[in-house]
Amino acid sequence: MGSFMLRRIIYVIPALIAVSLISFLVIAIPPGDFITRTAELRAAQGDIMPLAEQEAMRRAYGLDLPIMVQYWNWISGVVLRGDFGYSFSFNLPVKDVIWPRLGLTVVLSVASLLFIWVVAIPIGIYSAVRRYSAGDYMATFLGFLGLAIPNFLLALAVMYVAFAWFGMNVGGLFSPEFLEAPWSWARVLDLLNHLWLPMIVLGTAGTASVIRIIRANLMDELHKPYVTAARAKGKGEFGLLMKYPVRHALNPFVSGQNDIFVEIVSGGTIVAIVMGLQTTGPLLLDSLRTQDMYMAASFILMLSVLVVVGTLLSDLLLAWLDPRIRYQQG
Amino acid sequence: MQKDRFGVTRLLATTSVLLSATALPGAIVLPAQAQDAANVCASGYTEAPQLKAMVDAGTLPPVAERLPLEPLVVEPAEEIGVYGGQFIDSWGGGNVADIRQFGYEPLVRWSVDGSEVVPSIAKSWDISEDARSYTFHLREGMKWSDGQPFTADDIIFWWERVENNPKVMTGGPRGELKNNGAVPTVTKVDDYTVTFAYEEPNGLFLQNMAGPYGQRVVMFPKHYMEQFDIDLNPDGVADMMQAAGATDYAAWWKGNVGSYGDAAQFNDPKRPSLLAWIGQDSILGKERVTFVRNPYYFKVDPSCQQLPYIDERVWTAAADPEVTLLQSIQGQISMSPRNVSTPQNRAVFFDSQEAGDYHLVPATSCDYNTAVLGFSVNHPDPVKAEVFGSKDFRAGVSLAINRQEIIDTIYLGQGEPFQPAPLPNSPFYNEKLAKEFTEFDLAAAAEHLDKIIPMGADGVRVGPDGKPFKFSVEINADFKPDTVDAFQLIERTWKQAGLDVTINYHSDELFGNARAKPDADAAVWVGENGCGQLPLLNLGRFMNDYGYWSLGNWSGWAAWDMLRLNPDAELPEGWSPVEPPANVQRLYELRSTIPTTVGEEQATLMGEFTDLLAEEFLTIGIANPAGYYRSVKNDLHNVPAELIEGWLYPGPAPANFATFFFKP
Repeated sequence: MGSFMLRRIIYVIPALIAVSLISFLVIAIPPGDFITRTAELRAAQGDIMPLAEQEAMRRAYGLDLPIMVQYWNWISGVVLRGDFGYSFSFNLPVKDVIWPRLGLTVVLSVASLLFIWVVAIPIGIYSAVRRYSAGDYMATFLGFLGLAIPNFLLALAVMYVAFAWFGMNVGGLFSPEFLEAPWSWARVLDLLNHLWLPMIVLGTAGTASVIRIIRANLMDELHKPYVTAARAKGKGEFGLLMKYPVRHALNPFVSGQNDIFVEIVSGGTIVAIVMGLQTTGPLLLDSLRTQDMYMAASFILMLSVLVVVGTLLSDLLLAWLDPRIRYQQG
Repeated sequence: MQKDRFGVTRLLATTSVLLSATALPGAIVLPAQAQDAANVCASGYTEAPQLKAMVDAGTLPPVAERLPLEPLVVEPAEEIGVYGGQFIDSWGGGNVADIRQFGYEPLVRWSVDGSEVVPSIAKSWDISEDARSYTFHLREGMKWSDGQPFTADDIIFWWERVENNPKVMTGGPRGELKNNGAVPTVTKVDDYTVTFAYEEPNGLFLQNMAGPYGQRVVMFPKHYMEQFDIDLNPDGVADMMQAAGATDYAAWWKGNVGSYGDAAQFNDPKRPSLLAWIGQDSILGKERVTFVRNPYYFKVDPSCQQLPYIDERVWTAAADPEVTLLQSIQGQISMSPRNVSTPQNRAVFFDSQEAGDYHLVPATSCDYNTAVLGFSVNHPDPVKAEVFGSKDFRAGVSLAINRQEIIDTIYLGQGEPFQPAPLPNSPFYNEKLAKEFTEFDLAAAAEHLDKIIPMGADGVRVGPDGKPFKFSVEINADFKPDTVDAFQLIERTWKQAGLDVTINYHSDELFGNARAKPDADAAVWVGENGCGQLPLLNLGRFMNDYGYWSLGNWSGWAAWDMLRLNPDAELPEGWSPVEPPANVQRLYELRSTIPTTVGEEQATLMGEFTDLLAEEFLTIGIANPAGYYRSVKNDLHNVPAELIEGWLYPGPAPANFATFFFKP
């Protein structure tokens, strides 16, 4: 187990280097930079930014240096000093901007994942045991509906209902008075009060696939001889179900969790923009649009790290669940 | 320097009328707001309850000591107000350094109706008879928000240590401060008097000072800013830069103090200010910021109450305009922001008036056109340069646009067909320029087009080189989505006229590159600053010359003009001079001479300018924008009956937000 874990962790390093390089180049290579973008935004307001000022800014921000030099300056800062560089548009160190956002993103993603489990696992088990029943068709139909409706559309619909029927204050994860307030019990409650809307929107898409995975796996297990043997020995039906086939059926489900997590993190962007959430998505999009390169690269890097770490965790969990895996090479 | 009162009134009468087309020539326009408050308020001033409590507790000096000897008395739009309340605003993330939002208190300002330049921080001014020097008189006893005196030294500090300091990132004094390219000499006469002197007469100085850039003059409190100046405080700056991990002084300065338009100007809560509401925390990266009343604000109402009435101004960030729209119609926002108050949203706003407890206030746009199409007359391809340079081509293209259809379907019937020209409410309105070639007439279009690109045998128009003639138009789809709809209609009627055109729709971030390509054929932008006297400040735009911005578009003519003004000028990379036709040469001459003239001479030259523009017909427009409005909560009072939107008139900030109040 130890050598497997070590090997698995070592593999993460080249993956992260590649991710950091790509995430930087993605922003640096297209024509134009933060300064041209700033000039463009000023123009949209009616102001024309003098060329001399643009050049002075470019020099001051080091944007006149070769791309690889800029990359090295950035990544060496990240690795050696935990310094993610400077956000031009916020005039703040990147880390001051992204940590709070990243925290809320993780909260929302984990909440959505929990929502999926709580809803999908019981439905999956029910569907497998009572397959082809009216309840099975109903649950499957609803699940596919959730999968088929684009998240942003669902977000708009949910927002409309919340606004028009319940007069709720939509947009954002907090009520206005808690937006910039320090953390307190009241603020946590306020967050929970707002969290369920995006949680449902993000969760609905994931439930269908989890229902199908559990249902299919469990159906394979239900007719195996060990189930029959256990039943013959007089084991109660519910206890039997939970103790043997369900546990077996969860194995592929665990390995699939990371994919769902990634989907929630990345698919959350559009929902976050539509619903005005204070997660990473809108800020990432914004930094890409303004070519705020260190911030955009840092965001992509951090989200990639989340995914890589998530994969690592699910691999380690699998290795613990299923001893066969850790003895295989690779 | 002469201080001729008679000269002043004559100049004011002719140069300070912005929006009123009916200004009587020779009428004496006195600074209407400059009253002697010392006489009006002989029995003293009153103040907001929380300030009164602080005075009683001994933590704040009495109100009479905080106000200048002669506070500015502001006449509210409706009635005397009461203290209290929170003004909730929304900001779309980007324009955080917008003076429209954080405060408009320049030396001199536009009056609420935009008809004249009136005193603000300066209580009065003298203009020399020859319009070469402008002397501003400041208010004795006026103070920054930290209680320190505001004097001429603060203005001199801005001029010497900010505007002309090559170590910080301003790019030198801005064009708005220059006159025909020359910078003024700024001198302190005494603690409360400052003079700006130019070598040549400057007919537009006051208007420029009332615009967004004038705000910069009074944003640098010397006593506070000295600590950030690397020459005045080398050790302190080195320490601060080290603490921030900064290596470049200019970049650090930009992030902490701020050049024009930088959010940093409002990001330091300790920075003293003259604005009505002042920050309490940094604003960058925040979802919600609150500004509180400035206890030293220099304005009072006619009943001697210190302004502002409203306690706090709150801005909430919203990433998506749809969220802002929802919040506005729910009545959560005191006044709807510009980005959602469009003609397209009017019906939604109208329907929710009762539920949201607000009403709509009309907002006149100063834009002179919804979309301005400019062809690249200096195209590197000689065939295209010849075609685009032909007035017949431009006239034909314009005649093949069905403007009424666009207005009816896209602008909900608001506005009228219009070319890029000063608006009807401007004294420089020229009917021929505004209306020529605006009718939809495919036969007349064909007549014009046949002269330069005749119809070929297979129904495709051919260029002067005998090959099929094609061109493309670059459009920014994000900036004004209505131009996308408009050009989809235009593309259809152009096809009927036999024009082979490709319309390229770009996102905001790619449009700049597409437009600046040296071989771009044509690009569309909006026409800004066309009302009242604003065209005077905006001559280049009417000629479609955006400076470096339109590289490849008109760079040949622009380069010719740069060499005309200064034979030793260094041309930007990729520019080579092209001699324009005689009329355009004259237009360039007028562009540089009009700002140095005043009074009747200026008006005459402007007449010549618009006549020549009409004759050359350089750019193509669609309609004058109409139908803008703002939603205003029903309990918010003293909002003017009509607001003005614009850039050089930084609407709606000149509407005197300090006099707004909530009536329960």
